[in-house]
Amino acid sequence: MADHVLVHLEDVTKTYVMGEVSVEALKATTIDIFAGEVLIILGPSGSGKSTLLNLIGGMDRVSSGELTFRQQALHLAGNNELTQYRRDHIGFVFQFYNLISDLTAWENVELAASLVDNPLSTQEVLMQVGLDERLDHFPSQLSGGEQQRISIARAIVKRPLILLCDEPTGALDYQTGKSILELLLEVNRLHGSTVVIVTHNAAIGAIGDRVVRMSSGRVAEIQVNASRATPEGIEW
Amino acid sequence: MKVLYRKLWRGIWTSKGQFFAMALVITIGISLYVAMSTTYSNLGYAQERFYDDNNFADHYFHVVHAPEGVAKQIANIPGIEKVTVRIQQDVAVIKEDGTRASARLTSYPLPLNQQVNSVELEQGRLFEAYPANGGAEALVDPSYLEANGLSFGDNVEIIAEGRQVPLTVVGTAIGPEFVYAVKDLSAMVPDPKTFGIFMIPLNQAQEVFNLPGQVNQILVVFSPGADTDSIVAQIENLLSSYGNLASYPRKDQLSHSLLDSELTSGRIMARFFPIIFLTIAAGIQIVLLRRMIRMQRSQIGIMKGLGFSNSAVVFHYSSYALAVSMIGALAGSSLGLLFSQSLNEIYAMYFNLPKVEGYHFQVVAYSFILAAAVGLAAGLSASMPVVSINPAESMRAQPPGKTSRNMLERLPFFWQRLSPLWKMSFRSVARNRMRTAVTVAGVVAAVSLLLISFFMNDAIDYMMKQYYDKEMLYHYLVRFDQPVRTSELLSISRMEGVNRTEAFIEIPVKIHYNGRTVEDAVNGQAEGNQLKMPSDNEGNPMAIPEEGIVLGEITARKLGAQPGDLVTVETAYKMGEPLTTELPVVSINRQLFGSICYTSLTQANRLLHEADLVSGCMLLVDPGQAAAIEDDLSDITGINSIASRQKEIDNITSLMESSILFVGIMIFFSLILGLAIIYNSIVMSYNERKKELASLLTLGFTHTEVSGLMLKDTLIQAVPGLLIGLPTGRWLAVFYISSVSTDMFTFPVVISPFSYVLSLLVGLSFVLTGYWLATRGLSTLDMIEMSKYVD
Repeated sequence: MADHVLVHLEDVTKTYVMGEVSVEALKATTIDIFAGEVLIILGPSGSGKSTLLNLIGGMDRVSSGELTFRQQALHLAGNNELTQYRRDHIGFVFQFYNLISDLTAWENVELAASLVDNPLSTQEVLMQVGLDERLDHFPSQLSGGEQQRISIARAIVKRPLILLCDEPTGALDYQTGKSILELLLEVNRLHGSTVVIVTHNAAIGAIGDRVVRMSSGRVAEIQVNASRATPEGIEW
Repeated sequence: MKVLYRKLWRGIWTSKGQFFAMALVITIGISLYVAMSTTYSNLGYAQERFYDDNNFADHYFHVVHAPEGVAKQIANIPGIEKVTVRIQQDVAVIKEDGTRASARLTSYPLPLNQQVNSVELEQGRLFEAYPANGGAEALVDPSYLEANGLSFGDNVEIIAEGRQVPLTVVGTAIGPEFVYAVKDLSAMVPDPKTFGIFMIPLNQAQEVFNLPGQVNQILVVFSPGADTDSIVAQIENLLSSYGNLASYPRKDQLSHSLLDSELTSGRIMARFFPIIFLTIAAGIQIVLLRRMIRMQRSQIGIMKGLGFSNSAVVFHYSSYALAVSMIGALAGSSLGLLFSQSLNEIYAMYFNLPKVEGYHFQVVAYSFILAAAVGLAAGLSASMPVVSINPAESMRAQPPGKTSRNMLERLPFFWQRLSPLWKMSFRSVARNRMRTAVTVAGVVAAVSLLLISFFMNDAIDYMMKQYYDKEMLYHYLVRFDQPVRTSELLSISRMEGVNRTEAFIEIPVKIHYNGRTVEDAVNGQAEGNQLKMPSDNEGNPMAIPEEGIVLGEITARKLGAQPGDLVTVETAYKMGEPLTTELPVVSINRQLFGSICYTSLTQANRLLHEADLVSGCMLLVDPGQAAAIEDDLSDITGINSIASRQKEIDNITSLMESSILFVGIMIFFSLILGLAIIYNSIVMSYNERKKELASLLTLGFTHTEVSGLMLKDTLIQAVPGLLIGLPTGRWLAVFYISSVSTDMFTFPVVISPFSYVLSLLVGLSFVLTGYWLATRGLSTLDMIEMSKYVD
């Protein structure tokens, strides 16, 4: 299994200093993330799950401990190294999509594709997320579900090793949420990307290979699912 | 309501950079308004009071000489309110160091009693008709006294009627016709070292010029509503037997015309510059407030939900603009009053006017009203959408901003080649039309002001080069008291160090054509002359015809004459009867100052029925012997004036230093305007796009790439502004010059390529500085914070 470890966190802590108050958002966390798995990180607000996601995604730095991606020590990396890491290996999907409002669906995906040497075909990626008919539309002309699909297309066009999704269904209705989860699993299946989903929705845990439960800034439990449920088969 | 004030102050604090930048633009606009309005109303008031107090003449008549009694005859003409007769004559002055100067010797009847063109004693005492210790007493203008280091009791030596006459200086005085004391239009600026106004009693003038009971000028003031044309005709008729030399109205009086044109251009600038700054400031305020209101939509809903009335909320947001304006007005009017002192001092260098320094409460009050109007108009127009915000609706997320296709997308060849980052920038700029328009307009204004500032230097430079390097190539220009035979030039041309002597003659004339008459001078240049090279309209040397006449542009326009037309030239020399000759107009040439008509020396002599007369010469000398030659020339009594080209250049250069200060201030103000507009525009764009910029960083774009995106935004707006600014600046320069040009002079609109390049470079520097100031926060942009941010 060690061969398949993509990201390793060893005693990682993250402390935010806000004025005179220090808040320890993540406490001595040790965890591995494996290549090709679907990992669901569950927890209530303030449990540290988003902090964990941001550290894995190279958006933030650890306060102490070690964080490695393959052999690369991200806890020692500078700004440029972290940017390169995000550019080459990470795809992000956010709760509020974070698309560029001045670019069409096609151009949003092209934008990400322009960052890497060997991207997927924009046309194919958009077809895969089911939006090949609406590629000339601006984000403001698309529904929430459609925007999230573009966001996923934008994330995967770079062929990332890890797809990090922060509450990807949080702003969507029940059915649309399910279809997005299905799309994420399909990305995992087709491209072999590791998919990490952060959510407070416990029902989603069932679709992952493993479930990490966070509580008060710590990993409370890591559960390995014997088999993955389909999004269609879960209820919330 | 106190809470709303607190909210207002916090809003100001949060956007302090933008608030400061806008207040700065208003400050500049108001300071220019206050400084210029104060100065020009002081100057205008001083002119008006000075003219009134001293009965400034409505019309001037010059004759060879006439008996004093003519005054009584003229006074009897209905419509004449006042008439004064006098002697006025330009004389040579021999200074203590032996060098020459000229003076306009002007007589005044004693006692000084409300006559036309009276004088005001500044220092010392009035001259006496018959001083106790004999001799003659004079008042001189204060600039001449100061420039030549004279004290009361000193003698000034003049040459009149071929003899040296000492005048004792007893005081300084100023008069309404000598406010701008230049000898003639060819002198660009006053040179008090070499030209002064000497005032003496009439009886002494008559003695000096050997004209007992005679005068050579008649000055009149008309009664209100008088038919001036018919009165002038009657007086000219009455004077015809005394040798009518010239007759001209107040508007053609040299000092008045120059002062008036300065006032006109000043008044134009006093409106023009503040309007530019205040309009741009209003534009920025509208854009900023509209954005603020859009961002605070839900807060507005809450305020209204709590029961605040529409007017209270509108007033709350308008107060932001009002606060900007009031701070700008306070700082601007204080600065403006300070500037007005410096401007007053600069004008005091040029104009001999009674000192009028004062602050006008009215101007300051207007400046506050003006600033408040700008603030309120911007505030109200930006915050009116508040009225339509429905409290319940405002709590819901705002519908996303619509992006539509812009014009460039209709050019697929171009558009498809753009990277997504360029497309983002183009769409963002096209989406925020109002902001883009204000930004482009602001950059246009700043660059055109820069160009106008550089143009002022260029114009002076051009005139100096054209006049002194291309047209006036002599070292000295000597004028005699009266025409002499050519052979008399030998004594000058044989002087050691004189390398070249060229003769000319100047004859005052009246030119008649098609029932119109213009008073002018004919300049006859000897064949082969090289030291005075009049130029044609393209600035190239122009040949002087052997026969016929070259008319100055202004004279030709007044006469309506074209090349090929026959004009009648009537001499207006003091000696002999007027003689008339018909001459064909050979060509018309543009002159920078005043008007002169050229012909050959032979043709000019023919006008006088003479063959061999000259009235002056131009000299080229060994630079090492210049001083000695000047000394030698000064000893020749028949010489009226010796003009040194180098001294004229030095005098102009030193006086132009004050205008360089003015140009420097204008450049600084233009920079501030450009900086403020770019900074505000980019800060707004940056704040709006923070989330997207963070998204780009998350995607893996580097900080440099993201900051490049903001630079693209900046350049898309700034580059058109910079490019449009150049022709706009040129157009404004043409407009400005055409509005201040008079019959007597006009400035060429010559802008050097260097000025265009410099305007662009300075423009680019404020663009990049504004961009840098506005995007400093980019390096610390919090990706995590922004990824959670909901619009």
